[in-house]
Amino acid sequence: MIREVLDWLDETTGWRKLKATLLDRKIPKGVNWSNTLGSLLLFCFVVQAVTGILLAMHYSPSPDHAYQAIQFLGSQVPMGAFLRGLHHWTASAMVLLAMAHLFRVFLAGAYKYPRQMTWFTGVFLLLVVIGLGFTGYLLPWDQKAYWATMVGSKIAGSAPLVGPWVSKILKGGDTLGTITLARFYSIHVLLLPAIFVVLVLVHLFLIVWHGIAAPPERMKKEPSGDWKEAVDKRYHELKEQGVPFFPDIVFKDMMAILFLFAVLAALARVKGAGLEDMADPTATDYNPRPEWYFLFLFQLLKYIPDKLEAIATSVLPGLAVGILFLLPFLDRGARRHALDRKFWSGLGLATVGGILFLTIQGLRAPDVNVTVPKNPQVIRGKELFAEMRCASCHSIDGHGGVVGPTLDDAAARHNKDWIERHFRNPQAMTPGSKMPNFKLLDAEVGDLTAYIISLQGGAYSAAAPKLFQDQCMSCHMIHGKGDDSGPDLSLEGKTREQGWIALYIADPEKIYPESAMPGFTKDLTPAQIEDLALFLSAQRGTKAVVKAAVARIKDVSHE
Amino acid sequence: MSKSPLDKNLSRKEFFKLAILGAGGFIAAGLGGVGLTYFLSPAFKQKKEDWVDLGPVGDIAEGNPVKLDYIQRQVDGWMTVEGRSSVWILREGLTVTAYNPHCTHLGCAYRWDENLNEFLCPCHSGVYDKQGKVLSGPPPRALDRYQAKIEEGRLYILPGDKTV
Repeated sequence: MIREVLDWLDETTGWRKLKATLLDRKIPKGVNWSNTLGSLLLFCFVVQAVTGILLAMHYSPSPDHAYQAIQFLGSQVPMGAFLRGLHHWTASAMVLLAMAHLFRVFLAGAYKYPRQMTWFTGVFLLLVVIGLGFTGYLLPWDQKAYWATMVGSKIAGSAPLVGPWVSKILKGGDTLGTITLARFYSIHVLLLPAIFVVLVLVHLFLIVWHGIAAPPERMKKEPSGDWKEAVDKRYHELKEQGVPFFPDIVFKDMMAILFLFAVLAALARVKGAGLEDMADPTATDYNPRPEWYFLFLFQLLKYIPDKLEAIATSVLPGLAVGILFLLPFLDRGARRHALDRKFWSGLGLATVGGILFLTIQGLRAPDVNVTVPKNPQVIRGKELFAEMRCASCHSIDGHGGVVGPTLDDAAARHNKDWIERHFRNPQAMTPGSKMPNFKLLDAEVGDLTAYIISLQGGAYSAAAPKLFQDQCMSCHMIHGKGDDSGPDLSLEGKTREQGWIALYIADPEKIYPESAMPGFTKDLTPAQIEDLALFLSAQRGTKAVVKAAVARIKDVSHE
Repeated sequence: MSKSPLDKNLSRKEFFKLAILGAGGFIAAGLGGVGLTYFLSPAFKQKKEDWVDLGPVGDIAEGNPVKLDYIQRQVDGWMTVEGRSSVWILREGLTVTAYNPHCTHLGCAYRWDENLNEFLCPCHSGVYDKQGKVLSGPPPRALDRYQAKIEEGRLYILPGDKTV
């Protein structure tokens, strides 16, 4: 019965012949572990397809929702964080493996007759992988996504002649925003994977058609005359001495794949895929860093003067890709061994060495801005404030409506508990209040309250102005009082956030190595530093705040 | 296969085949398990109950059904959506009944007619009494009711498909 079914299947599909061609084919002797790189890449693509399809179920390619969707995925969906981590790390692995695969083929001279077309499709595939990486990391719409893409599109825009066009086409307009995100999403999940699949099929077909290249053999001299026949003949000899693809070679591939899978799963579980603060085009304290595989280009830009920028951004990469494509035409002939092609091997090694050097330099480069963790509740509260059009009635920093009270100093007038209860039921706290009851969810009340408190720089304690007077006023001036040897801090809250200020008070040199200010970790408790930071971040020049601060400073000076 | 796979003299080829199958199966099971957990998770998710606060129960007129409009903010995936809905409330002392405002026939919005003391549906002339019982017309069953509760003098309802 089984026999009959198999026969029928063979009749209708020809699978026996297919199996003989694909699985029973002989692979030349000497093919080693470095030959598993291609199979690893194929495996990576399968992982990316599976995880990508799943991740798309919790995503929305719009700046309004992309970040929230990723947060939701990571915190609410079972296995969501793991799958995202796996997708992230497999992407990195793919870039690394694709480069390694290309370099191995390069060293083995396997791009030569008759495998030139396999090489072309391979170089194309590498570009597609890089394109997938570039389009993929905009999607979470966090700071890294936004700023890396900003830099990336600027780099594309700096290309001679076509630059501005390329940049506009990439972004879908002049600005990086809604259209860019939708465009990148489409390219990432539809266009590039489709191209990838077609190219991989051609690539694999060619591999089977020509057979896997045998390890290169030394040749003293370039053979003269028609050497192609001799090359074919030698290949067939080596192939006959080889081992069958299945199971011998597949076993090796499978073991390598198992190892890779274990590493990727461990990375996904332990490290996951990070998510920074939501993209903020107005941020000035962010350190844009590209994904590690673009770091060498990023680093190269530091060494190149402004006017010659195009050299690093388009001439060198263009040259590199051009050479990769033209390689089978530039380096012709039968000699494949790396030592028989000293110029090309040398150039290849030098390039890889250069990329490694730049990458390491890039990784070691210190961040210019100190990373200060922000309160995510405040960020969400700020978004909600805009989304719910609170500014129609309330003003902050002089902007907004006048129907309701200004909110700059709301936290100075009321405590946290009062503000929360007011959000839940305005009339209960302020009888006759015109503010509607928005039926806010618990989380929303928390976020909005955190935001309102942050406007005041947080509710600093009554001791903060005194602390400032005792500790800071011998160098700093505030609202016309104090000494002017240090910077005036009357408007400190306009440019700095509380977290940054606290860090600076504790250890100024950590932020500015040349700062003349001493650190205060010895003189003040962490709570006092926080308190001072709250006080300073409240200094935004708003009349009410100035009045309150001056009054309190006066109070203490009268004591 | 003439030999058992567990035979000590397992041939090289058979070992390879087993290892390939094992490794492949392990990866497929791992990735598949994770993927299925993710994909099927909505089936096991408990729905969160979103009780809606309709205000002090004392503010609701007694005796006849009244229509109350309310705004409900709800978490929908990664978004928070705000929906306007209404509910018919019948308060008799401290007993409160909350009616789903849609006719059980085809979902039209019905109204209370004070003169007739009946709920009238404008679409296909469905008629219900004060308790929601069908008096005439095509409705297949009595009006659907929402869960309702009174806590600290405030009325809360739980809109949804579930009827009580």
